[in-house]
Amino acid sequence: MSVVAQAANPIIRWEWIVDEWDQIQEALIQHLELTILSVSLGALVAALLSAVALRFRPMATPITGFTGFLYTIPSVALFGLLVPYFGLTRTTAVLPLAAYTLLILVTNTLAGFDAVPASVRDAADGMGLTPTQRVIKVELPLALPYIIAGLRIAVVSTVGLVTVASIIGQGGLGRLILDGLRRTFWTPMTIGATLSIVLALVLDGVIYLIGRAATPWAQRARTT
Amino acid sequence: MTVVVFAQAAIPRDIGLFEFLFGAEYWTGAGGILTSLWDTVVLCAAVVVVATVVAVPLATALAHHGRGELSVTWIVTLSRAIPTFAVAGLLVPISLRRGLGFEPWPIFIALLLLALPPIYLNTYTAVKDVDRGVVDAARAMGFSERHVLFRVEMALGTAVILAGVRVAAVQVVATEPIRAFLGGDGLGRYVRDGLGQNNDNLLLGGAILVAALAALTGVMFGLAQRLALPAGVRRLARPRTR
Amino acid sequence: MSTVTSLTLHPGLEELKGIAEVAIRLDEVTKRFDGTDSDAVSALSLEIPRGSIVTLIGPSGCGKTTTLRMINRLIEPTSGRVEINGLDAIDQPVTALRRSIGYVIQQVGLFPHRTVSQNIATVPRTLGWDKQRTAGRVAELAELVGLEPSMLDRFPDELSGGQQQRVGVARALAADPPVLLMDEPFGAVDPIVRTRLQDELLALQEQVDKTIVFVTHDIDEALKLADRIALLNVGGILEQYSTPDDLLRAPANEFVEQFIGEDRGMKRLTLKTVADLPFEQGPVVDIGASPIEAVAVADAEGGDWVGLVREGSFAGWARSEDLRQGAAVADVPRSQPAAQVTPESTLRTAMELIMTSHTSVAVIDDGGRFGGVVTLDTIRASLVAEVDR
Repeated sequence: MSVVAQAANPIIRWEWIVDEWDQIQEALIQHLELTILSVSLGALVAALLSAVALRFRPMATPITGFTGFLYTIPSVALFGLLVPYFGLTRTTAVLPLAAYTLLILVTNTLAGFDAVPASVRDAADGMGLTPTQRVIKVELPLALPYIIAGLRIAVVSTVGLVTVASIIGQGGLGRLILDGLRRTFWTPMTIGATLSIVLALVLDGVIYLIGRAATPWAQRARTT
Repeated sequence: MTVVVFAQAAIPRDIGLFEFLFGAEYWTGAGGILTSLWDTVVLCAAVVVVATVVAVPLATALAHHGRGELSVTWIVTLSRAIPTFAVAGLLVPISLRRGLGFEPWPIFIALLLLALPPIYLNTYTAVKDVDRGVVDAARAMGFSERHVLFRVEMALGTAVILAGVRVAAVQVVATEPIRAFLGGDGLGRYVRDGLGQNNDNLLLGGAILVAALAALTGVMFGLAQRLALPAGVRRLARPRTR
Repeated sequence: MSTVTSLTLHPGLEELKGIAEVAIRLDEVTKRFDGTDSDAVSALSLEIPRGSIVTLIGPSGCGKTTTLRMINRLIEPTSGRVEINGLDAIDQPVTALRRSIGYVIQQVGLFPHRTVSQNIATVPRTLGWDKQRTAGRVAELAELVGLEPSMLDRFPDELSGGQQQRVGVARALAADPPVLLMDEPFGAVDPIVRTRLQDELLALQEQVDKTIVFVTHDIDEALKLADRIALLNVGGILEQYSTPDDLLRAPANEFVEQFIGEDRGMKRLTLKTVADLPFEQGPVVDIGASPIEAVAVADAEGGDWVGLVREGSFAGWARSEDLRQGAAVADVPRSQPAAQVTPESTLRTAMELIMTSHTSVAVIDDGGRFGGVVTLDTIRASLVAEVDR
């Protein structure tokens, strides 16, 4: 490349950022929307699956196996498989993204409930709490740290996978990357890539803080 | 036939799914399935090998000397937060400006970053977790430090390390198809082309190929895990349930 | 929503509480777990009197914990009846039943995510008490079990083992249940704390007068706490059900004898106090007595020492030798007693003190006043006398 051409095509051309700020914002918002939609759907389904696995112990292994199987399907493949049926729509992106969160969310939820000490459950039963009360008032709060850890992982990995969804036109910040690639114009690529990393870290931090606020008992150190 | 050796026949828009998957003409040739498969396998294998060669000694050394606890948490956080596609995308312009082309560096480095954490973490945990009593007993019997390290810890930890390599390999194979969207080829090209041409069957075929390879990788490493360890050590290495 | 049957167990209905003499009756209660080929508990019949502490004790596999958990239906009997206050436990809705029975377990099971006061308030809140009443009750209980008010807002993780168990007891007593079930509650704390908790339980019982069923594997704990002891053999076979003293004095069979151990005579000594002994003056003389009187006492008792009493309090031991010198009794050098007990001291403590000091008598200090002496002979005599009965 000639010197002139290189100068015209730096890693970041700042003017572009200013000019295309709306586009960047739109991409960011779409990215955020997709992430939130997918994780919410995934969380809902995971909650249902976890409830079934907890209520009917024999179902735990098949459920975990199923969610694990979904996870092993490469994202490119799963997006590709759904396009013929759902087209290049948001649904095609959200369904696989939600599916990928299932494994970690279910596994962590089950682990969280598993971590509730047997003596605490026994005491709850012995005091006359109904099974529902015990699950909601005692077991769920205690499982929360694990569930939140799972949510953090789910959100962060979804942010990453949303960029891949750009291959079907639903990629949020990933679109910037592909766009830049196509036009051999680097700024959008750099911006898109950097922003998706930043978004992941920010969301991770937010959920971490929410988790801390929701579990005050876990913060106090032992005095004896 | 001669045509096929040097240039693959263009894939028609109305191709049937099974025609594509099982038609010999699509397998052979420069753009054929076998070539793409080879491209993918070579890249992934290189990534996994390099990752192993870098991560295993590093993690072993740090764990054995009781250092690097902090590194573990950092790696976990960072590795989750970094989208591979973004990293690869970020590296493409840099690679191009240095005259290195679209391939292989951006995708190689991005996949390497993906592969390092599981191998590093598992190796670190494996070495740390080895039953202290075994190590102490060996030391008491008069082995030198290095002897202890290599014989005892590596043997017991191998199963866990292998598991980490397996995770890394499957993740790398599953993520590699994005390469096709960043100016490269590999098995992901059929998904890319199918999307581009609106060719549903090509798209499906590509997706199936990609998925099949990932599954195959998982199975192969599973077998390798079984074969690599004698039953006794495997039992010892099984994670203890609470 | 409560039916009449659950209402009768509902705390607050004083008039219905006082009816039965027997708080809990087990009638041929049997439990066999699925997949086992022998009974965990076999046709156990037991009557637990109101207001008493009954311990269930026995070797591993004797079904003591299973039996306990059948009372609040954490385990359902395979056959037989569990009657609480005259009503079959099966007839109650199970959660209502459990809310009217206090339950304390070894690992305490405090809710880690709730503060101490929230833990204690669990059953009252479930029963729908208002905040004020609950808060008042929590404060009352904290004082009762010996918890500092500052601990109420802490989380269980910040408390020591002994403090946690106190919270567990407070939590069990929160809704003032007439019955308290305790499953090895003091097993997880160190011996010093355990002794303190046992003492506090006894003191508590003085105030609250609950019917307590207490499972333990520690015979000494059972002897110390129980009004009655039910000794179970493997499979829930009741070998003996009697007061601690009767158990020690007259074991029903070889199993009981072996379970109690060879030193049951010694153990009986822990059940009696110095106050139970007949008064014995011992070789004691008033400090104002003449040397001759003092020497006379020394000769009469034949010991090397004579005790001196001044205005009703023990003033020390004087050597008989020194007294024979003829000086005024008050001027003779005195030593403080090496062994001293109070009327509340157990005979075991008295014996321990006597045996480990180089005296053969312990002085009884009754609130500063001289209360007599204790000798090994007196102690032995008190044990032997009852055996012949």
